[in-house]
Amino acid sequence: MAAELIPAPGGCPGHLLRLPPLEAAADLLEEVRYGLAGAAPLQGRLTLESGDWPLDTGMLRQLIALARQGGLELVAVRGRCRTSLVAAAALGLESGWSAEEESNDEGGRGSEGGPLLVHHGTLRSGDHLQSDGSVLLLGDVNPGARISADGHVLVWGRLRGVAHAGRRGDGAARIVALQLQPLQLRIAGAVARGPEEKPPPGLAEEARLVEGEIQIEAASPLWPLSG
Amino acid sequence: MTQPTARIILICSGKGGVGKTTLTANLGIALARLGERTVVLDADFGLRNLDLLLGLENRIVYTAQEVLAGSCRLEQALVKHKLEPNLSLMPAGNPRMLEWLTPEDMKTVANLVAERADYVLIDCPAGVEQGFKNAAAACREAIVITTPEMSAVRDADRVIGLLNSQGIQPVQLVLNRVRPKMVASQEMLSVDDVTDILALPLLGLVVEDEQVIVSTNKGEPLTLNGSPSPAGRAYQNVARRLRGESVPMVDPSKERRGLRARLLSKLRKTGNF
Repeated sequence: MAAELIPAPGGCPGHLLRLPPLEAAADLLEEVRYGLAGAAPLQGRLTLESGDWPLDTGMLRQLIALARQGGLELVAVRGRCRTSLVAAAALGLESGWSAEEESNDEGGRGSEGGPLLVHHGTLRSGDHLQSDGSVLLLGDVNPGARISADGHVLVWGRLRGVAHAGRRGDGAARIVALQLQPLQLRIAGAVARGPEEKPPPGLAEEARLVEGEIQIEAASPLWPLSG
Repeated sequence: MTQPTARIILICSGKGGVGKTTLTANLGIALARLGERTVVLDADFGLRNLDLLLGLENRIVYTAQEVLAGSCRLEQALVKHKLEPNLSLMPAGNPRMLEWLTPEDMKTVANLVAERADYVLIDCPAGVEQGFKNAAAACREAIVITTPEMSAVRDADRVIGLLNSQGIQPVQLVLNRVRPKMVASQEMLSVDDVTDILALPLLGLVVEDEQVIVSTNKGEPLTLNGSPSPAGRAYQNVARRLRGESVPMVDPSKERRGLRARLLSKLRKTGNF
């Protein structure tokens, strides 16, 4: 089943590209290429409705390139999968939950599916940024500041304060930072002091829970989340 | 009331004892000596001592309190410095004022003195409570002063966050009491360590200088007689940078060397050696 290109619907910027249901397509790029080629040629901005597809940054880049070939500029992503939205935000795209998702009951989403909070600017000592979903901070977390989320904590900058991911017990939550030099890390119920030594320069790191203990390792090159 | 064109600058630090009042006094004198009409406004009602540092304690008749109450004119409360007529002090009222003073009152006083000045420097109390909020409401820009210690830097960071949230721009940094030897031996935070965390434009570096204590006790700020002491020169440079002059910043921990080494390098440069 091919992706569907809808010219200029209401409620989102530009045209809408709706991906086929997750279970109805084998090769997503092929379906999108087919969908774009089959529709009348359009120009301008494009919103991607990604549904349940877990798109990482690599995949999104390919989709952006595909859209560009067709004369369209991908500016926004709407979806039901958090991974896609985090990746979209990291690429500077507008991201948000699908319209129908917002009307869903809160309980069905659990800790996995809160909204992604994108915050611009540095958290200074005494600040505390909190999110019911995941949080993406474009800035530093200074010593004395706190950042906490029910989902992942992603810092596009230096993390030198206290971070808490998976506040409500989501042990799969991670903490990722371009420079991970925290005072203290918490994931779900686990607590760890930050490492004494300075982190390796120029290497993004991530902390996650391995058998009940917080471990730090080099972040995946498909930062922030490849699924 | 017309909007005054004076620059109203808050001098704050969060932590106490890092040199807010000393900077206010020295900067006030330095600006006045450069020909700017300057008013220093003591917003530290609880523990006022700006008047002490300027040697004006015994000349205070009226205070900001009487000005606000309308029981004296502004000129009566402003204390002109005895040696530097361009500088006046608006003294803080008594500590009881803290109970009723509002940010609006502070704004009123600051705007009143700003009508007859080029620079208004507000000496902020330590802490981030009501006294700080009052003082911050009255200013348009700020200078954050800190020392190279973790606790002072942490407090400064907090204050910068609060200033940012109030939309105060620009906020500049003065680093006080730097000990070049300790920095060189890595026993103290370096200039880079501090600016790395605070991420503010650096307006000045003041090295640790015993003359500061001497001058404080005498009630004669170092900048008053153009003192050649390192701290005195640093304060003068802060004043000049504040006016927009470009004065090169010298990191003392990298620059400070013995007399012999400096002479030798000078000779080498001129080619006589």
